[in-house]
Amino acid sequence: MYKSTGFISFLLRRVTGIALVLYLFTHMWVIGSANSGADVFDSRLNFFQSTAFKFAEIALLAAVIYHGFDGIRLLIVHYFNVTEYRKSLFYAIFAASVLLVIAGGIPILLFALEG
Amino acid sequence: MVTATIRIQRFNPDVDKKPHIGEFHLEPDQDTTILDALQMSKSQQDGSVTFRRSCRHAICGSCAMNVNGSNMLVCNKPLAAVLDKNRRVTIRPLPYLPIIKDLVVDRSSFWEQYQRVKPWLIPPGDLPEKEFRVSPEEVEALNNAETCIMCGACYSACQVIGMTKQYIGPHALLKAFLRVVDPRDTEPGERLANLSGSDGVYRCHTIFNCIDACPKDLNPTQAIETLRKLAQKRRALDDARNERQKYIEEPVSTG
Amino acid sequence: MRIFLMQRISAIALLFFMTIHMIVVHYPPFHIDFSRILERMDQPIWKAIDIAFLFFVLMHALTGVYMVITDVERFGTFKRALAVLAVVIGIVAFVYGTMTVMAFQAPTTASAFVP
Repeated sequence: MYKSTGFISFLLRRVTGIALVLYLFTHMWVIGSANSGADVFDSRLNFFQSTAFKFAEIALLAAVIYHGFDGIRLLIVHYFNVTEYRKSLFYAIFAASVLLVIAGGIPILLFALEG
Repeated sequence: MVTATIRIQRFNPDVDKKPHIGEFHLEPDQDTTILDALQMSKSQQDGSVTFRRSCRHAICGSCAMNVNGSNMLVCNKPLAAVLDKNRRVTIRPLPYLPIIKDLVVDRSSFWEQYQRVKPWLIPPGDLPEKEFRVSPEEVEALNNAETCIMCGACYSACQVIGMTKQYIGPHALLKAFLRVVDPRDTEPGERLANLSGSDGVYRCHTIFNCIDACPKDLNPTQAIETLRKLAQKRRALDDARNERQKYIEEPVSTG
Repeated sequence: MRIFLMQRISAIALLFFMTIHMIVVHYPPFHIDFSRILERMDQPIWKAIDIAFLFFVLMHALTGVYMVITDVERFGTFKRALAVLAVVIGIVAFVYGTMTVMAFQAPTTASAFVP
């Protein structure tokens, strides 16, 4: 196994990507209960709004944000000649992701602890 | 000088089922290279240590190995630079390739993919009487890609190669880039068509290991990015190339 | 090349749609129920945005999974079958998802839903 920042970014991109696809289809199934009416929808959603799932939601947020920032990084590499700064670019988007996950996670956490 | 520990991954296909690490204790000089250390282990301690090497000054591309997890040429790297604080270094064969013996790997997929991109120049039908005239800017655009020594460090650092040997690989794509951008080549469009299949430039996932590994400081990733952009306007490139070759024999104005 | 381009185009679209989705749907965090979503989804523009979002998200997810699978040499031989499968899953999921989006409207027969 050849380790490098590039490999870490690639691994994280793949893992978050696959996790998000699995989430996507679960998400569609859950929200899809709206097809069977408001009652079914509300009861199924209630199950997914317990405190435990709020923590899972933070993990989801982290996956979305990292995958998104990694995508921005790749687009930058595609359209500008910046391979020289590949390491700083990775650290920058990683730091940005962490900050945004913290900023976005706090409201969810507060909500989860309150309710 | 103090003793250094050289840990070499050993594998003898006749006896071993799995590779294991063999340790050698040497007393290197200040200017001992990693290759010298390997040579010392072989000549002084165990004659069965197997590795490839030839020129000893970083131009033949035989001695690329994985030292402490990074691919490099062992012939031009001082041992002192890779020893850790316990004065140890671990040398393994190039990753992701089948091991033949000890540090020697089977590089046939490397050469097969290289052949696949037609690494030679395809010049115009009627060759110029004297010479092709190419401007300094055009040479600079080749990004030094011609200095590649085919050592395989980038190829075996690539995680995509770890997953599929169908991928053309950074070394061959760098060479293809060299030919596509070369103003003397007549078939850039066809080359790009062959490179944009599912095993070509779009299989690259921009992991950058090839840049990190290259002992000649070349940039296969940027070459692949450029090929991706060119592949989307093949016809325009072909037209521009035809136009360019009309005056390929004329002196370049250096205004 | 087609798949690469599909992935980049949907990626750029998703940077836009995902940001909207996360901000509007998840922040500030609240207890999700049918009537709460309906407030927003009653407007046709939101239905249009969500259908476009669904389209791009499926495109990105399926091309992504296709790339992950075909990266492995042993699965490379089933490329064609995988591509067909991806298109079929995409169409089914898109139709189902669109039905879901359309299901968010005030019921005309007020059987289950109490405003």
